[in-house]
Amino acid sequence: MSEKPKIGVYTCYCGGNISHTVKCEQVAKVMADQPDVVISRTNMSLCSDAGQSQIEEDIRELGVNRVVIGACAPSLHEPTFRNTVVRAGLNPYLYHHVGLREQDSWVHSCDCDGATCKAVRLMSAGVAKARFLDPLEPIRLEAEKQALVIGGGVAGLRSALDIANQGLRVVLVEKSPFLGGRMAQLAKVFPTGEEAQRLLSELIDEVVQHPRIGVFIQTEVVGVSGYVGKYGIDLLQHGRGVTAENGEALAAGCTQFVPDEFNYNLTERKVIYKPYQGCYPALPAVDWDHYDGESILLNGKKEVLQDQAQPYQLTVGAIVVATGFDPYTPHTGEYGYGELPQVATLAELIRHLAVHPEAKSLRWNGRIVRDVVMVHCVGSREIEGVDALQEDGLVNNYCSRVCCTATLHMIEELHTHFPGLNIFDLYQDIRTYGRGHEEYYRSALSSGTRFVRYNGEDRPEVIAALEGDTHPVLVHVKDALTYNQELEIPADLVVLATGMQPRQIDDLVRMLKVSRGNDRFLLEVHPKLRPVETAVNGVILAGTAQGPMNIQESILAASAAAAKVVSLLGSGQVELQPFVAAVNAAKCDGTGACVEACEYEGAIALETLVENGKEVKRAVVTAANCSGCGACVSVCPNRAIDVQGWTLAQYEAMVDAIAMDIVDLVEAE
Amino acid sequence: MMPTETSSLSRGEMLKRLRAEHGESVERTQQLLREQKRVQQEVCKSIREKAKTVPEIAEELGMKPADVLWYLASFRKYGLVVEEGMCGDYPLYRKAEEK
Amino acid sequence: MTKIHVDALVVGGGIAGMQTALDLGDQGYQVALVEKEPSVGGKMITLSKVFPTLDCCSCITTPKMSAVAHHPKIQLFTYCEVDRVDGQDGEFTVSVVQKPRYVNADICTGCRLCEYECPITVPSMFDRGLGSYHAVRVPFSTAVPQIAVLDIEYCLLCGKCEKVCPVGAVDFTQTPETFEIDTTSIVLATGFEMTDVSAKKEYGAGRLSNVIDPLMMERFLAPTGPYGRVLRPGDGMEPTTIAYVQCAGSRDETLGIEYCSRTCCMYAIKQSMLISGALPLAEVTIFYMDIRTFGKGYEQFYQNAKAMGVEFVRGKVASIQEDENHYPIVRVELTEEGRVVERTFDLVVLSLGMVLGDPLARFGLQPAEDGFASLPSVNASPWATTRPGVFVAGTAGGPMDIVDSIVTASAAASAASAYIRSKTQVSIEEGEVAYV
Repeated sequence: MSEKPKIGVYTCYCGGNISHTVKCEQVAKVMADQPDVVISRTNMSLCSDAGQSQIEEDIRELGVNRVVIGACAPSLHEPTFRNTVVRAGLNPYLYHHVGLREQDSWVHSCDCDGATCKAVRLMSAGVAKARFLDPLEPIRLEAEKQALVIGGGVAGLRSALDIANQGLRVVLVEKSPFLGGRMAQLAKVFPTGEEAQRLLSELIDEVVQHPRIGVFIQTEVVGVSGYVGKYGIDLLQHGRGVTAENGEALAAGCTQFVPDEFNYNLTERKVIYKPYQGCYPALPAVDWDHYDGESILLNGKKEVLQDQAQPYQLTVGAIVVATGFDPYTPHTGEYGYGELPQVATLAELIRHLAVHPEAKSLRWNGRIVRDVVMVHCVGSREIEGVDALQEDGLVNNYCSRVCCTATLHMIEELHTHFPGLNIFDLYQDIRTYGRGHEEYYRSALSSGTRFVRYNGEDRPEVIAALEGDTHPVLVHVKDALTYNQELEIPADLVVLATGMQPRQIDDLVRMLKVSRGNDRFLLEVHPKLRPVETAVNGVILAGTAQGPMNIQESILAASAAAAKVVSLLGSGQVELQPFVAAVNAAKCDGTGACVEACEYEGAIALETLVENGKEVKRAVVTAANCSGCGACVSVCPNRAIDVQGWTLAQYEAMVDAIAMDIVDLVEAE
Repeated sequence: MMPTETSSLSRGEMLKRLRAEHGESVERTQQLLREQKRVQQEVCKSIREKAKTVPEIAEELGMKPADVLWYLASFRKYGLVVEEGMCGDYPLYRKAEEK
Repeated sequence: MTKIHVDALVVGGGIAGMQTALDLGDQGYQVALVEKEPSVGGKMITLSKVFPTLDCCSCITTPKMSAVAHHPKIQLFTYCEVDRVDGQDGEFTVSVVQKPRYVNADICTGCRLCEYECPITVPSMFDRGLGSYHAVRVPFSTAVPQIAVLDIEYCLLCGKCEKVCPVGAVDFTQTPETFEIDTTSIVLATGFEMTDVSAKKEYGAGRLSNVIDPLMMERFLAPTGPYGRVLRPGDGMEPTTIAYVQCAGSRDETLGIEYCSRTCCMYAIKQSMLISGALPLAEVTIFYMDIRTFGKGYEQFYQNAKAMGVEFVRGKVASIQEDENHYPIVRVELTEEGRVVERTFDLVVLSLGMVLGDPLARFGLQPAEDGFASLPSVNASPWATTRPGVFVAGTAGGPMDIVDSIVTASAAASAASAYIRSKTQVSIEEGEVAYV
């Protein structure tokens, strides 16, 4: 350390979050008397421009060369204050952040004196560490100006297009044989009434014709390595099984039928198939999961098809996760689903109508439908202790956002195509929140839909009617709008407005090391500060992988994700924090204990060096591969390794400071 | 920030022009100032010795309680008045010590 | 006339505009950010804590305010209004009026000596009129820039501020100045206003002293609020019984505002929770028709509020009157019990909705039926207005909360960035997708 430390200490009120519990003025006063502290201040809101300016001024005017800030958690504003000190000409790592809010005031709100003492200890430790801070340089790495987008639904497509339109290259990976995702299964979309498949095909055209986008269909991500700027990706692309020349003929010759999941198994399709007219690619594909391996007759010859999967490797700077959602599938017996043929999900009804576009009347299970009951919140807004647990032992306690408007949109469609239907709508709260959505509610009201408000703790029941009854099923519900009157509604069709569920992407989640929230959707860092980024640098979220959204919202999230990717990679360089292991070669004996302890590939290795004419082995760190976990530090018998920014000397100084007797100090005030 | 070009007129001429242009608002504000000074004197006198609640001050001075609260909030902000405990559901206000 | 060339002009320095400007700046574009108020921060900086994380609002907003002020690629123009937008298709000329602060922005240090010296006290719009400041002032403690502004409508022209200013920054010779910005793209982030409280006669038309709007409650709950605590404005009483009237200004055909304002359920629930924290004895009742807690983590937030004892009553509030002591009386039709009751509260908060903030005409845009910017293809490019090259971020494109505003802001930045590239000679690194 060349210069004598001149430490500036700042204790933030955090607008009361800290100062309501911690006596900040007292903390500041105690800190002012610590050795090497040249100034100790408090501030109502240190992260404000005025607060930051104060710090800058002190660095310039008072020659402060170490800054200690006691405020919110470092995860929130460490980057903010690093920029502050840089603006005043100080190295960004000559600043230490103490979490006085999350670690103190918020958890000890009933004990002001105790919290104040704790704040003094934490801040003293910060000051003690600050004396040992050294200037550090971030690790600058070349970034691959190419992004991977996982998922070929509307969010993935939009994200890929936006990234490419901003000058970067994109690899779009879709697991299934066709692009479009869940949106392709919809008919008209609210609030505009446009055809979903037409909107999609316009978007797909732009994506596949884009010179900077490469599309891998029927492709899985099977390996992820590396770090932001340079992720190594292993892909496995399954064979299509057919060629442009023989595809249609093979499909025509194919005789094996399987349930068509595109239509939620309401219909069957061949095992060599196209999901719908106008799909992309237009070439049929083999459904390898269901193909029975039997030969198919083509021009008099028997052909046996084989999945010739092809591995690819690529390097990308960032990864956009746009893996989408799964529609909630009710348990067998939930509202009679799976047991009573007259109970269907909304998604199934949408496909049913799409498959029978010319139908003059609504028929279900061979019977003309006159009375329809729609049930909202199926698989959503579930209550612990009331609703059956999902497979993982949790309930879906979130709102799925889209089902209310989708249900009312369907009611309008049904009334338009099949006038005279009686429709009952069983809901808890109507959540037509979007622009133009409330109109579907008004339309349903004016078309005579009978709304019945049920209580989430007392959900409706669907039972089979007795033989010979006028209707096949009966719905029992207590109507909160008429003093909880018990209603029995005879119905020909019960439509369950099922919500969204997170996809089964456990392997991917593991490979990417991203987190899930309580709702099991992928978790963003912070809903306002970094709403589409994950805690893993360079892994960005787009669309319903993050939570329920409608198409418009998915597109917005996807474009926001694109903005983050471009900001990250646009310059061709990324910066990583310098908190990585550093070996003091003078102390290293080359025991190799560090190499054994290290869990990160290529982070630390023994290299042979010549020292005083003798060959010796010394540990060498490759900074880009090191996570700074410190495992090597703890096993080194010679204390030859330190994690930069968190050295053993710094820790020891902090521990001494925390253990210091401060009671007198505080009570004397 | 856009470098604001100043008028070619001198300061004196500009002030004269502003007075002419804003004659009405200046006059209205002068009246307001007189009123504010009067209220400030009366309120501060009322709570110099004894802390009082908004309704108490309002009744004493024959003012609307909402107006009294607005003045107290302002005096508090600029350090003329401090809060001092509660009387039932109402905070008590007292004149701050002279610095 | 001064002329500036930028890649993107962002109009509005609220949370959406700041986010768009930061995203575009981070990508290396030259950005001009124009804000009509003397400080950036918009509506968000006036709030207390924000749902669903209950972060203090300052902690989220002030660093962004600081970042736009210090960003090397962003030029910030506060106290400026867009007058007109000429041109089209990537070649826009925007004329902007710099309103006079009567303070030289280049030399003012924000020391506030002028403010302390100024003899006249005026209602603070930052505190929705319930607090006060002086005729010359730094608009609020965390304002960016920290520069005083003089309100000529309340100025005595007494010159006291001029005398006390240590750097001679007070300048009565300033006049409105027009300057031009040439830009390739424009992002509108002009925000919202609350629905007009005076329009609803049944709810007292804004004349009942203990019936307030939600932004007032935000100020009461904020640490920098006018009273430093929650008091009812009518007589300074600490309220114990508080009612929220939902959809007061939204979903109301009689007001011509038929849409849902999306945020009111969540802010009412959030405020209820914050009130419970500030006033442990308070009882909060929320009168609602549908609770719309649809965002990520919002339903759980609602359930938490229920568990904390906030009372949710389904009912349509027919009218609000006051008794002789100015206690509001809420007349409500309890839809689940089929009867009408009257309940008296200490304080009532009207959960007002959102309407468009600034008129769109000067941007050459027509509003949609609901008054917000018309977005012709929401399911393909939900940021695009009817004028190519003009994009929308945040609540100018319809009611939405902060989380959604920030996402739309980043999306608008993405769209503007792609548009700028398509219109200018950006050196694009062309190349095939690389895989080894």
